[in-house]
Amino acid sequence: MGLLGVMVVPLFVATWRGSLFGLSCQGLLIAWAAYRLNPDVHVIGTWLNLADLVLVRGIGAPLLLYRLMRSRNHTARHDIIPPNLLSWTVALGLVLAAFNLSSVLVPIDGDQRALTSVAAAAVLLAFLVLASQSTPFGQVVGALRLENGIALFELGGEHDHQSLVTQVGQLVIVVATIGLYLWLLEGFSERGNFPPEPTQDEPTL
Amino acid sequence: MSPSDLILVPLLASLAVLLGAGRERAAVVLVGASFITTTLAIVEVSGVPPQTAVFAGLVRVDATSRLFLVVVNPIFFGISTYIWHRVRTTPALREGISRLVWLALVFLASTNALLVANHLLALWVLLELTALTVTPLIVRPRSEASRRAAFRYLLFSTVGLGLVALGFACLGRGMEGAGLTPTFMVDRLLELRPLPINAWGKLGLALVLLGLGTKLGLAPMYSWLPETYDEAPPAVAALLGAVQFNAALVVLFRVVQIYRVSSPGLVTGQLLAMGLVSMVVSTVSIIATRNIKRLIAYASINHAGVIAIGLGVGGSATYGLLLYVLSNAFIKAILFLTAGKIMAHYKTNDTRVISGLIKELPYSGVFLMVGTIALLGFPPFGSFLGELLILSALVGSGRMLTFAAFCTLITMTFVATGRTVFPMIWGPSKEKHDWPRQTLPSALPKLTFLVVLVVLGIYIPPALNVLLQQVAQSLEGR
Repeated sequence: MGLLGVMVVPLFVATWRGSLFGLSCQGLLIAWAAYRLNPDVHVIGTWLNLADLVLVRGIGAPLLLYRLMRSRNHTARHDIIPPNLLSWTVALGLVLAAFNLSSVLVPIDGDQRALTSVAAAAVLLAFLVLASQSTPFGQVVGALRLENGIALFELGGEHDHQSLVTQVGQLVIVVATIGLYLWLLEGFSERGNFPPEPTQDEPTL
Repeated sequence: MSPSDLILVPLLASLAVLLGAGRERAAVVLVGASFITTTLAIVEVSGVPPQTAVFAGLVRVDATSRLFLVVVNPIFFGISTYIWHRVRTTPALREGISRLVWLALVFLASTNALLVANHLLALWVLLELTALTVTPLIVRPRSEASRRAAFRYLLFSTVGLGLVALGFACLGRGMEGAGLTPTFMVDRLLELRPLPINAWGKLGLALVLLGLGTKLGLAPMYSWLPETYDEAPPAVAALLGAVQFNAALVVLFRVVQIYRVSSPGLVTGQLLAMGLVSMVVSTVSIIATRNIKRLIAYASINHAGVIAIGLGVGGSATYGLLLYVLSNAFIKAILFLTAGKIMAHYKTNDTRVISGLIKELPYSGVFLMVGTIALLGFPPFGSFLGELLILSALVGSGRMLTFAAFCTLITMTFVATGRTVFPMIWGPSKEKHDWPRQTLPSALPKLTFLVVLVVLGIYIPPALNVLLQQVAQSLEGR
């Protein structure tokens, strides 16, 4: 229920700080769930997974985005989905659809079905955010929510087939993706302050 | 020689440029490293028996790897030569060249690693890595529009590859559900065919195809492609269209090789639908556009549609599809590099302004003409034979509606492209230009691509033919 809460509640809190706090809570709660499901701390893979969820998704990415938004003096309000009855209904409908889908995928009621339901809801809600957002910041939040949803989905399966090499690769990819998003966001000029586009006279490769 | 050399050489060269050694001559390092990898790729293809596995099975060279290694590496070498020539003749481009070189070399290393990877998650990681290394290259200095295009590209890559990762997770759960020990090793999955497909498996397969469709520029998530190809420097657009496209295609081929036998209906239906819709949207866009790079970008979506249809139909279309894929890679490299040359001279991408190319820039005029003719699938090019085999397979499998739609869309594309491109080549010059005569060395990479393109159409060397047949068989699940 806690995981579902951190997926849904930030959608209705119309501030960018709320969105980032939600992202942070998602990362930390997924890490807690991962530890509960696989408490073997003698395996390097477990530590890599926890580092990814706690340090990168739970703390690093939200904190860096927070610094960026603060440096821009962005107004507090930022709707992550349009603030109207239709999008709220769609959001709740997606959560219901996710629960229905998981009952097809996991016929036996229990923890596995609950985890699948929340993961499916997280992915579908991430797509709602991505579809509703036109601002780069909002789209990055949507992309990070999607990444969190996928991480949650992966918790449900067996992990013996994941080699250490691919786990390290996945961690590198997550860190590099977040770094690139930040680099691109930092380069975007603030509203009303666009630099002149280079003319066609400027040579390019 | 080991397949790992194909990864290590560009990685070491990249590291050298990044650390400062060779920064002064970064473009030369790029050409040198890509020349060595091209040579190694040719040696790899001609010198080792198929299906060799090394590094605890994580690296495996099979027919698909061998075919794409000899396509991707020479194309990268050609693009490197183009970059070297542009930098040598345009001093203003020397600023920031070392960053381009080290990123491009990591891009090459990850592409080569992807081609020989034997693990589905490793394929996913490496495809992500190619996207991450190419994203900064899309950004041109002081251009907000190119930064937005790079952001859009990264966003669609994240979402598309996120869907692929989700799909793989579902496929793993599907194997668990069927009582199998989940594995993502490609060779083991091939041995397990036909894999039982349950609800998890179907969901996973659908998500993987949708995600890879996004990377290939297939509908419904294709909108990143025209903007990215338009805003990226032409050399980077060529890397995206001719190199990364093939890397994404190899991942799709791996999935089809594993799951076609298990779920032929799902694979065929989804690929046909995505292919046809892509052809429709690209045809409409080709009719409307007046921008030369966007025209090539929409043609790329159209080609991706044809490839998806060919892959969906299977059977006798598969050999044609492979010929089409090979031709398509060289066509896109020729067209993007030619567009770069044309834009560098005319300072515009508006097709209505560019005219009289055959007189003013004879080499570029010829390349644009031949590239367009090959693009439209005319003889004697491999794309013609490829399309013909796909059409014949559509008729043979009784898909007459798809056949009719395919023919109509191809005809419309032909008319729209010809109407835009041919006046650029043969039309009267609108202004008197005093440009230096184009030299043969500057045209050499494109000329080489052109020769390969013609050869593919009129004579397929026996060794290549065997390789194509082996890949076609593997795509049919044999």
